[in-house]
Amino acid sequence: MFDPVPWLILLPLVWGCLTFLTGVGRGGRLVLAGLIIQLVLTIILARQIVMEGARHYAVGGWGAPLGVDLYVDGLTGIMLLLTHVVALPLVVYARAYFSSQAEGASYFWPLTCFLLAAMNALFMSADIFNIYVTLELLGLAAVGLVAAAGSAGSVTAAIRYLLVTLLGSGAYLMGVALLYGTYGSVSLAVLEPLLATTEISAAACLAAMLMLAGLLLKTALFPFHFWLPPAHGGAPAPVSALLSALVIKASFYLILRLWFDLFAPLVTTQAAQLLGGLGAAAILWGSILAFNQTRLKMLVAYSTVAQIGYLFLLFPLMTSAIPGAAESAMQGGVMQLVAHALAKAAMFAAAGVMVLSAGKDDIALLGGMSSHLPLTLFTFALAGITLMGLPPSGGFIAKWLLIDSAVSGGQWGWVVVMILGGLLSAAYVFKVLRQAFLPPVAGIKFKPVIRMLEWPAFLLALISLLLGFRSVEVLNLLGAA
Amino acid sequence: MRSLLNVLVIVLSAALGLVLIGVILESPSPARVRLSEEVLMQIGASGVTHPVTAVLLNFRGYDTLLEVMVLLLALLGVLAQMGKQKRENPPAGFYLTEPRMQVLLWLARVLVPLMVLVAGYLLWAGGHQPGGAFQAGAVLAAAGVLLNLSGLLPSWMEPAWNLRAGLVSGLLVFLLIAAAVMMTASPGLLLQYPPASAGMLILLVETGLTLSLGLILAGLFLFLSGDAIDDEADK
Repeated sequence: MFDPVPWLILLPLVWGCLTFLTGVGRGGRLVLAGLIIQLVLTIILARQIVMEGARHYAVGGWGAPLGVDLYVDGLTGIMLLLTHVVALPLVVYARAYFSSQAEGASYFWPLTCFLLAAMNALFMSADIFNIYVTLELLGLAAVGLVAAAGSAGSVTAAIRYLLVTLLGSGAYLMGVALLYGTYGSVSLAVLEPLLATTEISAAACLAAMLMLAGLLLKTALFPFHFWLPPAHGGAPAPVSALLSALVIKASFYLILRLWFDLFAPLVTTQAAQLLGGLGAAAILWGSILAFNQTRLKMLVAYSTVAQIGYLFLLFPLMTSAIPGAAESAMQGGVMQLVAHALAKAAMFAAAGVMVLSAGKDDIALLGGMSSHLPLTLFTFALAGITLMGLPPSGGFIAKWLLIDSAVSGGQWGWVVVMILGGLLSAAYVFKVLRQAFLPPVAGIKFKPVIRMLEWPAFLLALISLLLGFRSVEVLNLLGAA
Repeated sequence: MRSLLNVLVIVLSAALGLVLIGVILESPSPARVRLSEEVLMQIGASGVTHPVTAVLLNFRGYDTLLEVMVLLLALLGVLAQMGKQKRENPPAGFYLTEPRMQVLLWLARVLVPLMVLVAGYLLWAGGHQPGGAFQAGAVLAAAGVLLNLSGLLPSWMEPAWNLRAGLVSGLLVFLLIAAAVMMTASPGLLLQYPPASAGMLILLVETGLTLSLGLILAGLFLFLSGDAIDDEADK
């Protein structure tokens, strides 16, 4: 049987080295071909997971605790598929974007390949030290991409991002060291039974707090969101899309894994309520800030802050004792993750096209965009539908499942937050749409854009919308164990 | 406001430090895994006799594979930044006219060949005693920095194809071997060295890494050491 697991890590690393070799700003075609191969591999892997269930992969043949183990299950499959489905149109988009604006193109391709390699490795890792290495790889690639824009503002944002990401992974590493000191292993498969059966030690509790705090910082959950808008809003549009859609999901994925597997004996209902509360604050505060922005890309970036909040509602909902409630909370959370990744990639890509065409990132200058770039505006609106959670989008299914779980579990407070959040996201999406339908501001001239900029973004928005019809397949894959 | 924040950060860090000390003094769990014993038990199959090298290049070689990519990424970050600034390269031998520099010059000429020798020795020694590719690469990089500081080696500009090839060749060799051992055995796993040839393959990987890591680490200094031209000087 052909096993795609090792290739999903090796191939992007090879593309990264080769595109560095081909030189500055070149190698887009290679990355495109490489990503198509990787997408096929992830589809093969997802099929294997559905047919044969989750499995371990012992790198080097040693097995835990001596060697490093990889682990793939339904959630891994979803994350890998999502990464490639989002990245492939974005690569097409990026080629078109950098052909019309060279700024920021310099080392985009190798950095993107290493970013994807880091994410693939992170999703499949079952070893907390190995996860740290993938976090470093991911963080440095992301910082490099933000810094590549070149303006003073983006360098400041990149340095702040670097410090935050180092602080986050430093806290995580401290937790890893504590666990290793106490239990003598860094393998999840070894640590899980040890934590579950032995008396809970203070070291394990401190380790859990440090690791989760570090990852929350990287996920930019309120009140740790301060670094996200300047970093995501200031980067070139393809970079913003990659970061907002995928990179923060990687650290969220780790929180999900650690919370429900490794640290399951330690976490309390109060801690889950706290995470949910922070999520609710993120939804409301992020949406209000998004509405107040005057720059389009900053608005989209603050919308990410808000949408991250929904992901954290699944923690309190999962504590429900009613059988169906916990299950639909998990499904809703994962659907929200998938739907937001697709919609946010589309929205940043569309915003990038509008900014490129208007020449300036300012919502007030968007007047007339409806007749100049109808497809891009349509893309923005479709992505907005997913963010608002209107049917038939993936966002609708996600919010439906979450609300269903909250109602059946009797946690009514979260329902109010989610409905308010939906209304607020409608407010900031319509703020942009309304402006785009106004007559053009005097003196502004839109530059024409190539079609290959508009279609990939539209495709992403379309997938996020149609996800609602195919959500059963996604949830099937999630349930494959 | 700012000083208040500083006080808060200091108090929090101190509290974390105290808690950490308390936790570390707690005795380790009795159910602890004895990993070092396992390493010593399996070391015969690893192809090397030094436990650190066995862990770094064989048992957890996958971590190392990703770590060297992290180093390349750090260099990419530096390169992405310096592309924006125009740099001026002081011509080689710039400092050499000053008589007091003669000592430095002489020292560099004596030391650098020795450093290359030491790097080669460290690389070879890694199999059976402390040493290996990271140390050897660091010595090579230090030799590059010494040459640059004594004016014998100009600072690096945007890397041409041969420098780029040098920077990634070791990493590509590592990737190639990782894939090759997987494909030749059946069913082969990533980085699963056959015990018979493990020692040779590890030495090959380390040789490539020494070269590339040396260049990458030297690059972190040499790409930045050229003097940036001020805008005013341009005019």
